[in-house]
Amino acid sequence: MTPPLLDVGGIEAGYNDLTILKDCSLEVRAGEVVALVGPNGAGKSTLLKTLCGLVPARAGTVRLDGERIDGLTPYAIAARGVALVPEGRRLFVPLTVRENLELGAFLPRARARQEETLRLIFGLFPTLQQRQSVAAGDLSGGEQQMLALARALMTYPRLLCLDDPFLGLAPPVTRRFSEALGELTARGMTILAAGQHVRRLLRLADRAYLLEEGRVTLSGSGPGLLRDERLRRALLELTPDVER
Amino acid sequence: MPRGGLIATGLVGLALILLPPLSGFHPYYLYLVSTGLLFGTLATSWNILAYAGQVSFGHAAFVGLGGYGAALASLHGLSPWAAIALGGGLGAAGAVIIGLASGRLQGASLALATLAYAEMWRAIAQNWDEVTGGGAGLIGIPALPTLPWPSPDVSGGRAGGYYLSLALLASVLAVFAGILRSRLGLALAAIREEEERAGLLGVHPLPWKLLAFGLSGFWSALAGGLYVHTVRVVEPDLVFSLHFSILPLVMATFGGVGTLLGPAGAALGLYLASELFLHPYVPAFHQLPYALALIVVALYAPGGLGTLFRRRRHGAA
Repeated sequence: MTPPLLDVGGIEAGYNDLTILKDCSLEVRAGEVVALVGPNGAGKSTLLKTLCGLVPARAGTVRLDGERIDGLTPYAIAARGVALVPEGRRLFVPLTVRENLELGAFLPRARARQEETLRLIFGLFPTLQQRQSVAAGDLSGGEQQMLALARALMTYPRLLCLDDPFLGLAPPVTRRFSEALGELTARGMTILAAGQHVRRLLRLADRAYLLEEGRVTLSGSGPGLLRDERLRRALLELTPDVER
Repeated sequence: MPRGGLIATGLVGLALILLPPLSGFHPYYLYLVSTGLLFGTLATSWNILAYAGQVSFGHAAFVGLGGYGAALASLHGLSPWAAIALGGGLGAAGAVIIGLASGRLQGASLALATLAYAEMWRAIAQNWDEVTGGGAGLIGIPALPTLPWPSPDVSGGRAGGYYLSLALLASVLAVFAGILRSRLGLALAAIREEEERAGLLGVHPLPWKLLAFGLSGFWSALAGGLYVHTVRVVEPDLVFSLHFSILPLVMATFGGVGTLLGPAGAALGLYLASELFLHPYVPAFHQLPYALALIVVALYAPGGLGTLFRRRRHGAA
């Protein structure tokens, strides 16, 4: 059997004296959309940051396609094809849309496919094509989120990690965004999406993990998890997720 | 501005720049303008580094390394051209070494490290008597040879120095213009804006920062080498002076960090205002323009004068 694209085995990670992730394990197979849900502070963002090398894993392993990537630098992990759309977008705001996108295609493997990826992105988000020479900071919130996703796509990722992709988006933008993610998965993109918009994430996902206090406490198919009583108790009453 | 107007302005500007030596300026004034042009080179070099978000308080280190390197090589019989180039290489190497600190230090900590670095070199030059001549420095540095072209009147002495300073400034401006249009400029802008984010896109920050340090150090050191061949002496307090660290910073900040022409323009303007008008009449206050420039810019044009009439590139503010 081929190894999963991403295999996280018993990692422990945190900041200074604080341990956030404790013996956390999960896997993502190529072509899957996996949702990572859980209450605030459960460690969802920390897990994504650990995968990308921003937070070191103190124990356990992270493997990409069977190869260990824990302990590598963020740029080395990016070069192996892991992209993160961080919470709060974090664009280069004084730079133009086009420059932000070109920075996404900085790695040689991404640059070789730059034109192809740009066509895909402008197909998903035509507004970015029209606003190429606008400074990223002058875009609307929804457009900025589109650009953050587009910039990650420019790296030609094998695994796309999304941290709270629907945070603060208006409902029409959220729908547009969900559709775009749907189109990407139809093209075979592998996605690991964390966030608090539980219903929307779980509807998109093939499989999902519930993360509580740094541990995976529940896993299953996305829609299945959505019906789980325990998940309801753990999450639905607690989160600000009001979409139906 | 229409294209024709732009070309006309450019030609008039070029004529004004090339004219002084031909129109019989007093050599002292040629020397002043040459020094102003060297400060323009320094401010532009400083700006290359600032464009990558790295603030240096220690460019005197590179000027001094270039100055001492060129002086020693010249005194040991190398032709001044080769000696200045060698000094440039020494300055670039010295800049890359302190650039390594930028892997760990940022902002004020890095600025202080560069300041200490320049002081370290000054102390070495001061105390390594056998090589550097200690506090007395080195004298008898050969003058720059007369350029083979166009005629000895305008290609030797102060006039030659003037044209060399001008050429050096033009070359660093050309390099910076090239950076602004290239992937290197994009990488440096990303590192300036948010290093961690740049890393997540696969941009390994340190090598790009070292390249910026190296380029900045190289041109600063060439200016240093040219300078010591103009004044024909080199002393620790002359080339490792805090002046060469602080003035480029003030000039670039006044002219507009990240703009192409702002720092060089501000360097010429401020230096000449200080030396031509204030030094002869109110010597005690001749440093005043630099202080006033910083205050004016902080209050009225936080991005520097250059941003008032220049379009942005890679988001340089």
